[in-house]
Amino acid sequence: MLPAFAYIRPTRLQDVVARLNQGDAQLHAGGTDLLGCLHDGVFTTDMVISLGALESDLNAIRQTEDGGLELGAMARVARIAEDATIRQRYPALAQAAASVASPQLRNQGTLGGNLCQKPRCWYYRGDFACLRKGGFKCFAVNGENQYHCILGGTDCFIVHPSDIAPALVALDAEIKTASPQGGRRIAASDLHMPPSEDPRRETRLKDGEVIVSIRLPGAMANRYSRYRKVRARQAWDFALAGCALNLDLDGDQVRDCRIALAGAAPVPWRAQAAEQALKGQTLTAATIRNTAQAAMADADPMSQNGYKVALFEGLIAEMLEQAAAT
Amino acid sequence: MPTEETETQNIEGQTPFTQAPDNPAEDKAEPWGEQTRIVGRRHGRIDGFERVSGGAVYPSDVSLPGLLHAAILGCPYPHARIKGVDASAALKLPGVHAVISSADADANPEWHQGGRIFNDTCRYEGEPVAAVAADNPYIAADALKRILVSYEELPYVSDMESALADGAPKVHPDGNTVKTDSYSRGDLKQGLEQAAVQVSGQYRTASEMQTPLERHGCVARWEGDQLTVWESTQGVYAVQSRIAETLGLPLTRVRVIGHYMGGAFGSKLDAGGYSIIASVLAKRTGRPVKLFVSREQTLLTMGNRPPTRMDIRLAARQDGGLTAIEFTGRGASGAYSAGGASLLDWLAKDLYQCDNVATELEDVYINAGPARPFRAPGYVQCAFAVEQAMDALAEKLNMDPVALRLKNIPKGSPAKDNLPYTTDGLRLCIEQGAQHFGWEAARAEAAKRQDGPIKRGVGMAAANWFVGDGGPPCTVIVRLYADGTANLNMGASDIGTGTRTVMAMVVAEELGLELDAISVENADTGTCQYATPSGGSKTVPTEAPTVRRACLAVKDQLLDMAAKQLGAGRDQVVFAGSEIRTADGFESLKIRDLDRLSNQKVVVGLGERRHNPDDVSITPFAAQFCELEVNTRTGEVKLLRMLGANESGRVINRLTWDNQLIGGVTMGIGFALTEGRVLDGPTGKLCNANWHDYKLPTALDIPPELISDPVMLNDDQANIVGAKGLGEPVTIPTAPAIANAIYHATGVRPMATPINPLDLLPRLNQET
Ligand SMILES: Cc1cc2nc3c(=O)[nH]c(=O)nc-3n(C[C@H](O)[C@H](O)[C@H](O)COP(=O)(O)OP(=O)(O)OC[C@H]3O[C@@H](n4cnc5c(N)ncnc54)[C@H](O)[C@@H]3O)c2cc1C
Repeated sequence: MLPAFAYIRPTRLQDVVARLNQGDAQLHAGGTDLLGCLHDGVFTTDMVISLGALESDLNAIRQTEDGGLELGAMARVARIAEDATIRQRYPALAQAAASVASPQLRNQGTLGGNLCQKPRCWYYRGDFACLRKGGFKCFAVNGENQYHCILGGTDCFIVHPSDIAPALVALDAEIKTASPQGGRRIAASDLHMPPSEDPRRETRLKDGEVIVSIRLPGAMANRYSRYRKVRARQAWDFALAGCALNLDLDGDQVRDCRIALAGAAPVPWRAQAAEQALKGQTLTAATIRNTAQAAMADADPMSQNGYKVALFEGLIAEMLEQAAAT
Repeated sequence: MPTEETETQNIEGQTPFTQAPDNPAEDKAEPWGEQTRIVGRRHGRIDGFERVSGGAVYPSDVSLPGLLHAAILGCPYPHARIKGVDASAALKLPGVHAVISSADADANPEWHQGGRIFNDTCRYEGEPVAAVAADNPYIAADALKRILVSYEELPYVSDMESALADGAPKVHPDGNTVKTDSYSRGDLKQGLEQAAVQVSGQYRTASEMQTPLERHGCVARWEGDQLTVWESTQGVYAVQSRIAETLGLPLTRVRVIGHYMGGAFGSKLDAGGYSIIASVLAKRTGRPVKLFVSREQTLLTMGNRPPTRMDIRLAARQDGGLTAIEFTGRGASGAYSAGGASLLDWLAKDLYQCDNVATELEDVYINAGPARPFRAPGYVQCAFAVEQAMDALAEKLNMDPVALRLKNIPKGSPAKDNLPYTTDGLRLCIEQGAQHFGWEAARAEAAKRQDGPIKRGVGMAAANWFVGDGGPPCTVIVRLYADGTANLNMGASDIGTGTRTVMAMVVAEELGLELDAISVENADTGTCQYATPSGGSKTVPTEAPTVRRACLAVKDQLLDMAAKQLGAGRDQVVFAGSEIRTADGFESLKIRDLDRLSNQKVVVGLGERRHNPDDVSITPFAAQFCELEVNTRTGEVKLLRMLGANESGRVINRLTWDNQLIGGVTMGIGFALTEGRVLDGPTGKLCNANWHDYKLPTALDIPPELISDPVMLNDDQANIVGAKGLGEPVTIPTAPAIANAIYHATGVRPMATPINPLDLLPRLNQET
């Protein structure tokens, strides 16, 4: 059951940020995550602020001066998956968007909401007073942690649920925000908050700060980029393991690369050791193996999620082999 | 009585009926034969428009003047003693009309599962502690939050192994064993000695949860001493008698209606605690009360396929003939006795010919929601062990898995003293399925595709289902009106399988009418004839022959009328479609032109289900075939195609038949690959209590090619329509067919469900 709250539909962004700065107000974009959380009592609120009535267009997808794209925060996930330009220039992003949830949820859910969604940990969502909800411990540590993180966990061991975020990290995207203090730009790789800094927040957005758009740099356009996701069922399921790959290829040689993982860590996980292992190398069987292993070198699995190490290694190897074959 | 009778009783929740009218020997109804006019066709649902347009009123749609909304407060712990319930704050909330709990003796009758509706000791998470009735669902939810319960948490057990360990916390004072059971025939030791080859293994299946589309619940209304309950149920009469018994009411005071209902797989065979709670709250408040449990409560409390651990050993001669089968199965009832090991050994002892068999079963209590019969209880789990063991045995014998099974086909039911089967259905399913699937070519082709990390595999499995013969009691009335239309009145529920459509087709066939001339009223104890719940794959074989018999009774009276009107002898007139003719063909009469019918307005035919013949075993059979790919680097399984061959006697409606096959395979895929209850180790609480974390298969988890391949035959020994049960046999072989294909692809045998990357990948990396 939903709690009782006031619902407002500002037409100006500055009103959104002003109201958002007060109390425990929540933003409502597509509502697919927010309403579920409120229904299930994960958190509560006394004011919900809709982004649906804004005069400024947060839905737009437009070209930028550097040859990149700017995607409005309210662009629907389905649109990101289907947009011809994105599919052509940033295929990893289109593939990541296409692998989200189900057709209905992709039609309703937005890009900004996808980046700011709450974790799917069953303790966080369920009837458990866990650390992230203000309790004292992470239940996954001694509990059912088959879907939890193998990298970057401290205090809290969620995996970040978004498929889109790792694609944006791999594509070196930038997040543009608005806030009571004015706007700023944040690298996609800095948007999310690791539990080591604050286990109760998922993003570094400040109170009252709203994502306005996401910029994809022109420099990353038309690279070899892919997203692939392994899940326990084929639709309407989060990643057991996801990998966003972005290669700057010169024939078989990798001039530059970015690799980001979903389902691995509490934040979209940039696999820097793997990038180092791959940069400047040719895509041989040995490089591929080294890269896959480097990605997992720091993995510290819990009692039930050791399979993820082999899974990520297998997934990365498969993707690099496919890159080599093209 | 042989054990299967008691087991039937167990899973159907009904008493065996030994005094059905008449004897099959006196049954003079001719079989329909090969040429039927309507039966056998593909026919859409007669109520399809109502169902998809929203016109159909399901129990959860029922709205009445003054309706109150109820909600149940569940215990948040797997095991706790209730020290006190303080409802005063809830009662003060405006719009709250009543709160009941164990503190309220008048509102807390004894309940057939053991204990009462509200127990002072809660033995599973979600067990009802209190319930409220309020003006709307929101107030009811708020009220639940204001009920203050003080609990004393008790130690709990949430898996079978810990439940049976020394010093384990006790679910019930007598300990954690519900019961044990054993069976044997021949001499196991000797059988093992005769064998050239043996295989053994331990298989485990996870608990699969019942979560039908329409949630469990009802609307209850009192008018004076008369209680009416609109309930989402598989059997209105079963609900009626349970409510009457629990509340101490005569049957005539309880009317249960379930015209439409949104699906069930065994968990709605009987009334629920909710039926009683709603009735009590309605009495208390003098207002109708609606109570549907939430989805989370459904997953916590509405029943499940019990988790199992099964040890199996098969032994065979070099030619593949089985010499011994040893099976030990353990299953968990949950917190109350609920058939945790019910029917778990049946496929082991009854599917294949084998002289020496020994089985042992153990049913265990754990602090989790009670099990409930779930589509082919026991069989689905057992098939996972038996049919994989057969596959392993075939490999060890260097035999084709199809050939090994064909080598061991029994002529009669091995576990029912070889009582002869009415058909050679098992062989037919396996042979026809293998042929239409292209088994040999597919196996050979897959074996060639073993190079890269993606491996191709092909597997199969077979099954039977020990009921599916149907039987008494069942009464049906068919009324033929003067305008030549007919009404079918039967108690049976249509649980989404198309029962109404199928039975209307039987009426149309027998009375020579078109389908749109038939109306059906069903599932209402106030107006319809007696029926047992729709479950156990027995609805078609129970109801269809009875419906036909009622039609025959109508025709008998029409022939009397025609003979008089035509001045012919009674044996001189015959039915020809919708007309009656004299045997010489000179004179004919349309039904509507029967004078007596126009005066009398209606002819009423009564049908009663007769006994089945007792010298045969009426059994449906199945075989399924599967081709898939396994990505050995990620553990992903991709189903490419499946085929299900079933022998369930006559195909009455090919469309509803195919629906069953597709639904059954889909459910089997969920059981095999995606579904499984996860109980949190340290707290005993359910982790996956929603439709996101509890992973039912989606359209993308179903193979793009899924073929329903019925074995077309009419089983005229079974009953007068020649049809047997289908709804359960369609789901039994799915998981082992998939598992065997995975083994064929990878050489890794799935030993536990759900088979997913979590389990498969480490083993692929280890063993290949
Ligand atoms: C059943 C289910 C399955 C799913 N499966 C997947 C999956 O496989 N992969 C995946 O990536 N995602 C998945 N999702 C998540 C889904 O993609 C998100 O729910 C959706 O994208 C959120 O968008 P929304 O517009 O509906 O967000 P809302 O629900 O409106 O908002 C979500 C959160 O983001 C905040 N927010 C929204 N917009 C902004 C903004 N512009 N600036 C700052 N904060 C903002 C809100 O305050 C809120 O906290 C699934 C969701 C569900 C319900």
